[in-house]
Amino acid sequence: MGYTLIYSQVTEYIPYLLAGAWISLQIVILAFSAGMFFGLILASIRTFGNLTLRRTVIFYVTFFTNTPQLVQIYFLFFALPEIGILLSPFVAVLIGMTLNAAAYMCEIQRAGFLSIRQNELDAARTMSFSIVQQVRFVILPHIMKVLFPPLSNHYILMTLGTSMAAIFGVEELTGRAFNINAETFRSVEIFSITALVYIIITFIATLLLAIIGKYFFKAKIRIIQ
Amino acid sequence: MDRLIQELPSFLSIWNIIFLLKAMGVTFLLSLIGCLVGFSLGTLLAIFRKTKSALLIPLRILIVIYTEIFRRIPFLVSLLLIFYIFQIGKITDSLFIIAIVTVCLIATAFISEIVRSGLESVSQTQWDAAKAMNFSYYETLKEVIFPQAWKVIFPPAFSFFILFIKDTALASQIGVMELTFAGKVLNNKGFSPILVFGTVLILYFILSFPLDRFGKYMERKYATN
Repeated sequence: MGYTLIYSQVTEYIPYLLAGAWISLQIVILAFSAGMFFGLILASIRTFGNLTLRRTVIFYVTFFTNTPQLVQIYFLFFALPEIGILLSPFVAVLIGMTLNAAAYMCEIQRAGFLSIRQNELDAARTMSFSIVQQVRFVILPHIMKVLFPPLSNHYILMTLGTSMAAIFGVEELTGRAFNINAETFRSVEIFSITALVYIIITFIATLLLAIIGKYFFKAKIRIIQ
Repeated sequence: MDRLIQELPSFLSIWNIIFLLKAMGVTFLLSLIGCLVGFSLGTLLAIFRKTKSALLIPLRILIVIYTEIFRRIPFLVSLLLIFYIFQIGKITDSLFIIAIVTVCLIATAFISEIVRSGLESVSQTQWDAAKAMNFSYYETLKEVIFPQAWKVIFPPAFSFFILFIKDTALASQIGVMELTFAGKVLNNKGFSPILVFGTVLILYFILSFPLDRFGKYMERKYATN
């Protein structure tokens, strides 16, 4: 018996699927902003802290960038209850993604720190810029131009990473695809639609990031590589 | 804590260690094959994208579509999609082959982008000079462009290899016997999740840390030259 693709059986589930995409989006925005915040703290410690603190941050970054995010979340989700910390799937995924993102963002933002040149700051001080003015007119424009492309690239990678949440039972895009698959058994249809939704949401994200980058930070991002 | 110490001897039995090491081998093999195939095919795609002839326009458009699509679908979703397509096409039952095919498809898309940006890092004057010397397209690539480009290609290609060691953790979802799946099996046998997933994390770290160091070393070496 051959298999015929019947898309009409899954079309009624598309709104349900798109609502899942919204949850994916929430996860990635939360994890991205939290990761950026902690990444900034880590990058500051890595650049300005004392030796012990710097070593700790280096160890953290090496460990989290060299182990899979999936196993990290497994650890949070299955191992932490052993010592009495019970996390809901959503929270476990969010914490896991944040911890992982913070490690990557630390590396990215450190590169941004290193791109500021001392003589620029000296020049600003000679022009008697206050600290706020220095940050606003000298450091931020420069740093953002360097940081924006790798950060937006990481945002796209994190969007793809949210599909992991499905494994822990979060009902985001992939999780809902699992549910629909279990109900209709139209596996190829539903997963191809899911893939298409991912392509569309990441494409829209790239488009928006390219526009923001161009008008606010003068950073160039290619929409189609 | 006492429980962990009690469990440790039975967990570190010779069979469990062999089991984990074998699974580690599968993880390594998956990413290695994926990256080797991805590297050869990706280079080929990048070279075709660099061609200028009008005859090859449809091919170039196809390559752009391919790379754009496969870089925007999460690994988990493409894995399941390939899994179900292979199932209805009755192509193969081997889960390992399904995982390899998916890894190769995605690696090709990602690495072709890396190679392409490497090729673009070589300035246009080099191409023109080679043309003036009456080099053929193949000779230009072999004698002029690649010797300069591969320094730009190698470091990110290496970090991509590490990325794939981590991403293959998702192959556990279709039941490939790799490191994460081995961890799940041992966890289901009743060993403490802290012990099991902690060990799995450390094994992943052992696998990717030397590669990470080596990649960073290469990056530094070529950055100073």
